[in-house]
Amino acid sequence: MLLFDHVSKRFGDLRAVNDLSFELEAGEIFGLLGPNGAGKTTAINMAVGLLEPDEGVVRFTGEAFDRDPREAGNRQALGLAPQSLALYEEIGGADNLRFFGRLHGLGGTDLEERVAACLDFADLADVAKKAVSKYSGGMKRRLNLAVAIVHDPDLVLLDEPTVGVDPQSRNAIFDRVEQLRDEGKQVVYTTHYMEEAQRLCDRVAIIDRGRLLALDAVPALIEAHGGPGNLVVHAAAGETSHETTNPLGTLAELQERQTVEHFQYRPPDLEKVFLNLTGRALRD
Amino acid sequence: MSKIVAMAAKDIRILFRDKLGFFFTVFFPLMMAIFFGAMFASVSSGPASIPVALVDEDGTPGSERFVARLEAAGGLELERVPREQALEQVRRGRTAVMVTLRPGFGAALDNPFRGTPRVDLAVDPTQFAAAGMARGILLEAAGAELQELMGDPSRMQATTDRNSRFFRQLSPSPARDDVLSFLDLSTRISSRFEELGVGAAASGGAGGFGGPPLDIGQTEVQAERRGPTNSYATSFAQAMLWTLIGGSVSFSMSIAIERSRGTLMRLLVSPITTRHLLAAKGLACLATTLATSSALIALGIGAFGVKPTSYPLLVLALVCASVCFCGIMMALSVVGRTEQAAAGVGWGLALPFTMLGGGMVPLFLMPEWMQRLANVSPMKWTLMALEGAIWRGFTPSEMILPCAVLVAIGAVAFAFGASRLRWDTG
Repeated sequence: MLLFDHVSKRFGDLRAVNDLSFELEAGEIFGLLGPNGAGKTTAINMAVGLLEPDEGVVRFTGEAFDRDPREAGNRQALGLAPQSLALYEEIGGADNLRFFGRLHGLGGTDLEERVAACLDFADLADVAKKAVSKYSGGMKRRLNLAVAIVHDPDLVLLDEPTVGVDPQSRNAIFDRVEQLRDEGKQVVYTTHYMEEAQRLCDRVAIIDRGRLLALDAVPALIEAHGGPGNLVVHAAAGETSHETTNPLGTLAELQERQTVEHFQYRPPDLEKVFLNLTGRALRD
Repeated sequence: MSKIVAMAAKDIRILFRDKLGFFFTVFFPLMMAIFFGAMFASVSSGPASIPVALVDEDGTPGSERFVARLEAAGGLELERVPREQALEQVRRGRTAVMVTLRPGFGAALDNPFRGTPRVDLAVDPTQFAAAGMARGILLEAAGAELQELMGDPSRMQATTDRNSRFFRQLSPSPARDDVLSFLDLSTRISSRFEELGVGAAASGGAGGFGGPPLDIGQTEVQAERRGPTNSYATSFAQAMLWTLIGGSVSFSMSIAIERSRGTLMRLLVSPITTRHLLAAKGLACLATTLATSSALIALGIGAFGVKPTSYPLLVLALVCASVCFCGIMMALSVVGRTEQAAAGVGWGLALPFTMLGGGMVPLFLMPEWMQRLANVSPMKWTLMALEGAIWRGFTPSEMILPCAVLVAIGAVAFAFGASRLRWDTG
């Protein structure tokens, strides 16, 4: 549904996004990963219509439509949960949902049904009338997510949705995101936590310096860019570490030369893919 | 100690990195210094000229002489106009005071034995300071006139002779005889002063006969025209101005608040346009300022006896002033990106503009360039429109100028704010 077709965006001399192309597939969670300054936020801002590409096209596409997100009416199809909590803390969770629901054209019983559904989704029905300022960090995060879907959009953009929450809330958010996919929505998920992306995302795009470095399903990315796994062997002579793509073969070779007391194998993961593609140099 | 110095140095560095904080720490006090310095320089370089509409109903050489003395004394910017025109000028706020020299003024001035010369003041009730200064200048001029009369033996003798002739024509009575004896004694004393080579004035004989040299009556201009009112009519107009200022500054923070809490982004990605957002902010500001200022004047009417001269024009003035301040709200809201900055900019501009608009310091005390600059102050036009509807008794055509200026200022400020908001959000 969301299409980026050879999109570029400059800010002065800085090319924030450089010839970026991808298209979301139906009912998937699409991870957008990259180091700081990679161009993720610029891409998100173009996806929601806040920025206009210098080159290329950003569109909401479908069988019967081809729409520009910069036109206000077309943004009905998307929901955004920004990284920083974007809520009115003086009023209750239900009233936040009602307000944003009205902005998206909901009213009457439709609105009340959606508000109730979103409160259930975020597990906040019991505190619906309580001022958001009294919510815990995890509750605010869940409400932030619920507000993004109050109008039942087809495309949901989640920008670092688990920042600053405890493991319980994080797992609850994972469950909700998976629920969205199960409902057939398309989810764009940006995060710095590789294990989150690996767990949730059906496909992942890794971008750096505005360029798309890789785009595929997580196992395919690992296979293509993960490199060898890491085998750590403990023997009488001490502990040794071995990079290998064939851990059993390597272990057999080592066993012939010494008595292996125990070993640990760490297969390549998305973090390794990320570091292999983007390097280890610190970013601003 | 080094830790304390390190923390203090950090705070100072942060202050100077904060451009707005730096502005209010350094440039704002400088602006205030220049403002008051220019004003006091104007006052200390000579008496401030108070605009006065002069109506000479006497038209005698005596009144002419008095007017010439006033003109020579400075401090009053006299304009001779017919009575009705003078009243209009004061009512419309173009002149602070109307001075009327009543018939018989010249005769009384030339003949202090026959009563005190009478002057009537009609005053703009917001300009009592100017009226007070005008009274002082009038009294000073009348005192000087009396002193000159008594210090001139020939004029004094002529006056005494004229009075003697007058009193001798009256029927004999002990009172008449006492007055004639006094006049004879004055003539003799005057000639003795002459023999001694000193004037009567130098001997301390000036100053009239115990009372003030001028009888000054004073009314507020509205009472002059439409009957009694009360001081709340002017104070409530001022209060409504402050309500509008407070409302616009408070609302100017709302966009900064939306920005800082992240909801601005959420609003901008919802299916609404920037125009919708601005219209909503403007509507909220307009509704609030209208409601609060309406409540205030309703209280004035109900509890303090304020009687607006025209309710439709009052509504018009309120709407135009609210439009103006909503536009200002929009401009302020994009200048200050944080809540503190928006509030700082709001009050930082409101105070000098209010001063410049005559809300705190009478305009006539300011130098001419500053008075011209006051024309860009929305506070000046707001007060004019509100007072015009509440007690100045403006006609619809008189309301056109202040209302048009208010709407124009509001539109320009709103357009500036709207363009900056679009630019801010890309």
